Amino acid sequence: MSTQPSVIPIPPGLPAATQRTPADRAQALGRLLLGTPEYQAYLQALKDVNHDADVQRHWGRIRECTSALQWGKGDALEQQAALATLEADLASLPSYRGLREAEETVSRLFHDVDEAIGQAAGLPFAPNARRSGCGCGG
Amino acid sequence: MLTEELRTAARALGEALHGSGAVQKYLKASADCEADPGAVGLENRLLALYAELTARQHRGEILPRSEIEALNALRRQVHEHPRISDRDAATMQVKPFFAEIADEINLPLGVEFAALAQATEAKEES
Repeated sequence: MSTQPSVIPIPPGLPAATQRTPADRAQALGRLLLGTPEYQAYLQALKDVNHDADVQRHWGRIRECTSALQWGKGDALEQQAALATLEADLASLPSYRGLREAEETVSRLFHDVDEAIGQAAGLPFAPNARRSGCGCGG
Repeated sequence: MLTEELRTAARALGEALHGSGAVQKYLKASADCEADPGAVGLENRLLALYAELTARQHRGEILPRSEIEALNALRRQVHEHPRISDRDAATMQVKPFFAEIADEINLPLGVEFAALAQATEAKEES
């Protein structure tokens, strides 16, 4: 009886083109994306925001306001005005701005990658890969 | 701007998807549909009528029931057309397959690749 496996596992880190199935190639692509400077900057921006007490305080107050509005607590107009002020303040905080910028950069990178996948596949990838939404692009 | 390595990896994935049974079936069904003047005409009529009715609705017009029923009847005709229903059935097989493949990309990242890839488009459209 042979002890050799029937399929030789492909070592991680091999170029994508040498890996055969769509799942293998998707994993290889995911690992490549993880290592990009854009994605690393996004992860760093997420960490920065999580350690920023100002951002956390704003998020806490935004959650309180949203909850009060949902449950009809207090004056709705006052709550809405407070929410708008909190959201504007949050958007002006440096670490939060950094996160939004990093997210936009990653989003553009993913968009370009997605276009390259779709062109080779013969049909759009991302709109058809989402578990929610109609996928029609509308 | 994509690096050559990323472009190659993305293209390799796209080519593997292209070679899959689900995508081949979809591409054939889609080509059959586009080659059928009856199917194309029906879909174009539905799109035109839908665009016209929604534009009127956005202008504040209350649409008569007969026009909404006409839209629904046309929609049914479209869905029941054999070429169109074949293409739609093929699309329904592609979607879960693509979702599974996207999960493989998501796993190392910890975010939903497809959602972020579409966020730029959504922002441009809004």
